[in-house]
Amino acid sequence: MSTVAVAHEHHAEHPRGIWRWITTTNHKDIGTLYLCFSLLMFFVGGAFAMLIRAELFTPGMQLMDPLFFNEMTTLHGLVMIFGAIMPAFVGLANWMIPMMIGAPDMALPRMNNWSFWILPFAMLLLLSTLFMPGGAAASGWTMYPPLMLQTGVAFPFTIFAIHLMGISSVMGAINIIATILNLRAPGMSLMKMPMFVWSWLITAYLLIAVMPVLAGAVTMELMDKYFGTSFFNAAGGGDPILYQHVFWFFGHPEVYIMILPAFGIISEIIPTFSRKPLFGYSSMVYAIASIAFLSFIVWAHHMFTVGMPLAADLFFMFSTMLIAVPTGVKVFNWTATMWRGSLSFETPMLFAIAFLFLFTIGGFSGVMLALVPADWQYHQTYFVVAHFHYVLVTGAAFAIMGAVYYWLPKWTGHMYNEKLAKTHFWLTAISANVLYFPMHFLGLAGMPRRIPDYPVQFTDLNQIVSIGGFVFGASQLLFVACIILCIRGGKKAEARVWDGAHGLEWTLPSPPPYHSFTEPPAPNLIWAHPYRNN
Amino acid sequence: MVLNNVKHALCSVAGAALALISGPAFALDLNMPVGVTPMSHDVYDLHMYAFWVCVGIGVVVFGLMLISIIWHRKAAGHQPAQFHENTAIEVIWTIIPFIILIALAIPAAKVLVKMTNTSDPDMTIKIEGYQWKWQYDYLQNGFSYFSTLAADSNAASQLDSGINPDSVPHYLRNVDHPMVVPTGKKIRLLVTANDVIHSWWVEDFAVKTDAIPGFVNQAWIKVDKPGIYRGGCTELCGRGHAFMPIVVVAETWNDYQKWLAAMQASHGAFINPATLQPEQNGSPVVYVPAELNFNAPTSAQLEPAAAVFSAAAQPAVPGTAATIGKSAPKHPAIAEETWTMAEAMERGKKVYADNCAACHMPDGKGNPAMGVKAIAGGAIANGPLAAHIALVLHGKGIMPAWGEQLSDADLAAVITFERNSFGNHTGDLVQPAQIKAAR
Repeated sequence: MSTVAVAHEHHAEHPRGIWRWITTTNHKDIGTLYLCFSLLMFFVGGAFAMLIRAELFTPGMQLMDPLFFNEMTTLHGLVMIFGAIMPAFVGLANWMIPMMIGAPDMALPRMNNWSFWILPFAMLLLLSTLFMPGGAAASGWTMYPPLMLQTGVAFPFTIFAIHLMGISSVMGAINIIATILNLRAPGMSLMKMPMFVWSWLITAYLLIAVMPVLAGAVTMELMDKYFGTSFFNAAGGGDPILYQHVFWFFGHPEVYIMILPAFGIISEIIPTFSRKPLFGYSSMVYAIASIAFLSFIVWAHHMFTVGMPLAADLFFMFSTMLIAVPTGVKVFNWTATMWRGSLSFETPMLFAIAFLFLFTIGGFSGVMLALVPADWQYHQTYFVVAHFHYVLVTGAAFAIMGAVYYWLPKWTGHMYNEKLAKTHFWLTAISANVLYFPMHFLGLAGMPRRIPDYPVQFTDLNQIVSIGGFVFGASQLLFVACIILCIRGGKKAEARVWDGAHGLEWTLPSPPPYHSFTEPPAPNLIWAHPYRNN
Repeated sequence: MVLNNVKHALCSVAGAALALISGPAFALDLNMPVGVTPMSHDVYDLHMYAFWVCVGIGVVVFGLMLISIIWHRKAAGHQPAQFHENTAIEVIWTIIPFIILIALAIPAAKVLVKMTNTSDPDMTIKIEGYQWKWQYDYLQNGFSYFSTLAADSNAASQLDSGINPDSVPHYLRNVDHPMVVPTGKKIRLLVTANDVIHSWWVEDFAVKTDAIPGFVNQAWIKVDKPGIYRGGCTELCGRGHAFMPIVVVAETWNDYQKWLAAMQASHGAFINPATLQPEQNGSPVVYVPAELNFNAPTSAQLEPAAAVFSAAAQPAVPGTAATIGKSAPKHPAIAEETWTMAEAMERGKKVYADNCAACHMPDGKGNPAMGVKAIAGGAIANGPLAAHIALVLHGKGIMPAWGEQLSDADLAAVITFERNSFGNHTGDLVQPAQIKAAR
C-alpha cells in the first residue's frame, strides 16, 4: 500500500476547471465523464430514433429521403451501442468497482484517461460522416457487405471510428480486469466480490476477446474496398457470408457485454430493497460465466436465413436455446431474493422490477427466435426489433437508469427527488411498452425492419409505436432534470444511503473522498457472504 | 374500406391484451398468418406452441414476482426472511427449463428437417434480387422477367408526393409483373442476387431466404390454393429496400399452363394472367382497373386469383410487342423494329420511371447525396451518344449495368428519352438496332 500512499500525495494537487477533466486520472472523474458522455449520446441516438419514428408515423415519405432514413437506422444503432450503453456501463464500473473492492482507484489510471478521451473523438468522427458527400453509412449497424461497400466518402471514416471505439473498449476492459484482480482489499476473495464486480470481470474478458474480431471484420471490408482483396466478394472467390460469421462472432458476445453488467446491477439493487441477501450467490456467478461461454457458440442464430447446412442450423438452434437455462436461473434467483423479503419501492427498485418483467419478455421472444423454422418468419421483422429493444432498452438501459438512481446519492452526497424520479420511471416504463410491445404484432403481421415506408395496413400500430416513442424520448428529459437537481443539492445523503444496502461502497461517506480507499477497509467489513452481515 | 378502418381502429384500441385473449378473431392483423403451404402451417403451429409455452412460464414466474411485490412489502409490515440458498430448488429450476427446452426443440427440429428438404421438385424457378427489383427466371421454360414496384405505389412513395398511400391499392405490396406459380406442385426456388444481399420473403409461404450475390440458396413451396400472395425484401439492401415488393399469383395447374403458353408465345413480354381467364356468362373477362377491385374489404390472402393484381400492368395481348414492361434480353425479336420519336419517348418515359427514377429522380436531377449524377443538363446525356449507350449498357460505380437487365428496345427508348427530356434537346433518336450493335 506504500505506492498508493505516494500516489495519493502526488495527486493531492489536481488541476481545476476544464484541465481537471482533460488530465484527470481519477476513477470518479473518469466515471463521471463516461456517464455524462453516454447520457449525451443517449440523446443523440434518441434523436435519430425520434426521426425514424416521425417518418414511420404515417405511410409515405414525408420527412427524409429513404437513404437518409437508412443512415438514421445505422447511426441510431452504432451510437446507442458504442456511445450510450457501453460507455454507461464502463462509467459505472469506473465509479463503483474501486469502491466496491476497497481500492483507492483503478489499477491503470493514465490508460483510464486515454480510454475515455478516445471516445468523444471516435463518436465525433462517426457523427461527422453525416455531413460528408454521399452521407453516412447506410447499411445498418451490422455493416454487411456488399451494401456497406456502396458507402461513399464516409466509409473509411466510419471504420476508423469503429476501430477507435474498439481500442477504447479494450483499454477499459484491461483496466477493469487489472483492477479487479490486483486491487481487491485483503480478505476479499473472488467469491466474496459483489455481483456487479463479478459481472464486469466476465464482461471485460468478453470485450478483450471480441472487439479485435470486429476490428478484423471491418478492416477486411476496408481492404476489399481499397486494396483489391476479395474477402467478401464472391466474384473474386470470397464470400459475403464470411463477414456475417465474423461479425456475429463479435456481435453475439457484444450482446452480452451489454447485458451482463446489467445483471450485476440488478443483483445489487434487488437484495438492497428486499432487505434480504441475494439468493444463490454462487449459482449467479456460475450462470454469468455459463452465459459468457455460450455467447461464443451461438453467433449464427443471427443468420439462420443465409442458407446454412441443416446440421449447422440444428447446432445453433440447440446452443441458443441452452442460454435460456442460465438466464432462467438468474431470473428465478432474483425472484427468490424478493420472495419473503421486506420490499420497498424506491426508484432504483422500480427500475429493477421493471427490468425483471420486461427483460423476461425479451427472453421469451428470444426463445421463440431460437426456433429456426419460426425464425424464418420472425427474422428481419419488427418482431426482432421488439425482442432486442426489450432486452437492450427495458433490459440494459433500465438497469443503467436504476443504477444511476441507486448510486447517485452516493456520488453527489444528495438524495435525488424521489417524486420526480418516480414520475420519470412510470412515464418511461409505460411508454417503453407502448413503444415496443406493438412491434411484436407488426413483425408477426409481416412488417420488415429497416424500412422507411410501409404498406398501409401497418399504419395504426406504427402510430401507437411512434407515440410511445415520442413520450419515451420526452420522459428522458425528466431523467436529466433529476440528475441535475441532485447534483445541485437536496437532502444530505448518509454513508449508507439505503437501509438494506451491503458492500464496501456504503462504508465511505457520501460523496466519497477523492481517492476512495487510501487504506484497506477493516477486515471485519468484508463479510463471509457479500450480501449479508456476519 | 369502412369495414377495414373499423377493424383497424378496434385492433388499435383493444390492443395487445384483447388480441391475446380473443386470439383468432384478430389473428389476421396481429398474429403470424397460417399461410398456404404445408410449411407455413407447421411453422404457425410451432409459433403458437412456443407462444403458449412462454405464456405458461410467464404466468408462473410473473405470478410469483407479483405475489412478492404485493404481500412481501415493507409497507405491509413484512419482516424479511434471511435464507439465501437452497440447493434442491436450484437444481429443480435448472432442470425444468431444460425439459421445457427439449419439448420445444424436438418439434422445431422436425419442422426444420422438412423445410430444408428441397429434393424432387416438380419445377424450379430462379429468383434473383437486384437493387431494387426481383427477376423471376423460369428455368425449364426459357423465359424470365423483372418484377418492380407498381408505378402508382412508386409515385406515391416519393418524398412529399402529395398522394395519399391509402388511395393506392396495395401500397408498396404491388408489382408490375408478379411471379406466377401453379398450386399443388412442389416448386423449388433458387434464390440469388446480382448486387447486394436481399432476402425473399412471402409470409404466407413461410419462406424467407437470403439472396446472396455469388451464392444460390434453396427453398421450396407447395401452394394450397389459388390466390395473390404478397411480401417484400427483408434484408436491408439500400435506398430502395422498402420498395421492392414480391407478389406471387398462384393459379390452378390448367390456368398456369395457359399462362406458360402465352408467355412463351410473347417472346418474353409479360402476360398478365388475369387476361387469360376463361369466358364467364358468355362474355370474356374484361380487364378491370385494380382500384375497382380493391374496394372490397377482403384480405390479400382471400382474393381470387382472377382479380387483377396490378394497377400498373396494362392489358396485354399475347404476342404484341407494344406490351409495356420489360422483356428479357434473350428475346431479340423486339429489337428489330424501328420506331418514331414519339413512340420511343413514350416507351422511354415508362422505362425511366420504372428503372431510373429511383436514383436519378423523376425530374432527372439526380441525387447528389447518394453520388447519383444528374441527367438534366448532364454531361453524359448531352455528350456523345456512344458514351451514353456504353455507360447505360455496362454501368460504372453505383450505376448498374443495364445491358443485362433491359431489352434493346427498352434501352434505346430510355436513352432517347433521357437525351430529349429534362431540358436536354440533343434530338437523338436511338434505334434498338444501335443498342444491339453496341452490346
